[in-house]
Amino acid sequence: MNTPLFVIYGVLLLGLTGVAEYKGWSWNRINQQRVLPKSIRDNPGAYRSSYGGYSRYIGGK
Amino acid sequence: MPAVQARSITCPNCGGPVQLRGFAHTLSVVCPQCHTVLDTSTPEVAILQKFQQKTQIQPTVPLGARGKFGNTAYEVIGFQIRQVQSGDDTYQWNEYLLFNPYHGFRSLTEYNGHWTFVEVQTALPEPAHARGRPAVRYGGKTYAAFDSMTAQTVYVLGEFPWQIRTGDSAACQDFIAPPMMLSSESTGGEITWSLAEYMAGSQIWQAFKLPGSPPPAYGVFANQPSPYGGNTGSAWRTWLWLNVALAAMLFLFMIMAPGRVAFSDHYSYPPGATRDRAFVTPSFQLAGRASNVELSIHTDLDNNWAYFNFALINNKTGQTFDFAREVSYYRDSDGSDGSRNNSVIIPSVPSGQYYLRVEPEMASGSPYMSYDLELRRNVPNYGFFGVAALLLLIPPVLTTFRKGSFEAARWRESDYSPATSLSGGEA
Repeated sequence: MNTPLFVIYGVLLLGLTGVAEYKGWSWNRINQQRVLPKSIRDNPGAYRSSYGGYSRYIGGK
Repeated sequence: MPAVQARSITCPNCGGPVQLRGFAHTLSVVCPQCHTVLDTSTPEVAILQKFQQKTQIQPTVPLGARGKFGNTAYEVIGFQIRQVQSGDDTYQWNEYLLFNPYHGFRSLTEYNGHWTFVEVQTALPEPAHARGRPAVRYGGKTYAAFDSMTAQTVYVLGEFPWQIRTGDSAACQDFIAPPMMLSSESTGGEITWSLAEYMAGSQIWQAFKLPGSPPPAYGVFANQPSPYGGNTGSAWRTWLWLNVALAAMLFLFMIMAPGRVAFSDHYSYPPGATRDRAFVTPSFQLAGRASNVELSIHTDLDNNWAYFNFALINNKTGQTFDFAREVSYYRDSDGSDGSRNNSVIIPSVPSGQYYLRVEPEMASGSPYMSYDLELRRNVPNYGFFGVAALLLLIPPVLTTFRKGSFEAARWRESDYSPATSLSGGEA
């Protein structure tokens, strides 16, 4: 890759990094945009998380 | 070049006319009809060698063609094919003799589509060493030894300022500082040094205004300039400047995004807790533009695990960010595994009033666990900068690798080991 192309590539990469940082993007897997009824606040146990039912995990080193 | 009258002689072998373009400089000429090599050093033209080969070879650049190199026009007056025997392999290249009445002789060599423009030198180079390899210094440059060979003339056409014959051989040595090559030719105790500059086929075609396009060049030639030579330095300089800009941007975001704590609290998970341990936190404000939120979990786990289901819920709209994190920490006399802490970055959370639904899970019979939850708004995501820094490495590493491959291909053709070889250059 010659230098002008590298400069363009680098500037685009820096720009993308800046946008990602400014917008607050993340690598993490987040399940979002589900709209919940307000009753969850009063009855949190009624909500079923997408990641629930983990207690089968036995752990251990 | 002004028009000049060429002298003409008669071939004593076939009686055909033979033109002399090199004037008094010409000591031998090949009859274009019967290919007999004639001695023209005396008025009585004698036969030096009779043509033995059955096939006639047409030079790519025809005899009599005129080409301009720099500001000087040269005419092709001679052509020879030379060859080198290396083990079972035979390598052949073409040499064109060029002549200008005011500037004298030059040569063009062609091998596998690679061309060099050659000028005989009058000064002698000095012996030198370049990084443990024999070299010579000439005109302020160090030329690394490349190869040595015995070259034999196997075919001739046109005229020459020496008495040429097929079968003539010379001991040759090449020293390179791309795009230049310094060569010595030794015949009968006489050594001639010449300086050659690499030329692309397109330059030759342009100089002689030849029809069509030049044949493609194969492989890497001894003094072929590397297309990556100047690029590696500038690529690494560009890489350095882009990294400075990246570091400045990181610094700027660290100032702009200090990661203010929006919520934090301390909780516990008592022994024998039932599975339904879900609860919600008090409401808290996430201010500013839509940006990320980092949730950190700090526990006092010891040889145990805990799993947290989280939902970050907008008080007003009900918009939910659903996620989970596992924390596990185990240790024994051999060391430890895992961590008592974990964190997660939730992307692009709009501003507003939020609360957090937390549902911790542990194995039944687990001991008491206490933990802290901390939510910070607008935190720098160092991962992006790390990935950007890695991606910025690709072009200079690629350029350096390609340059290395090019040089390896060059030195594979050399008498010297690729591992210890480096191209010559400014010393």
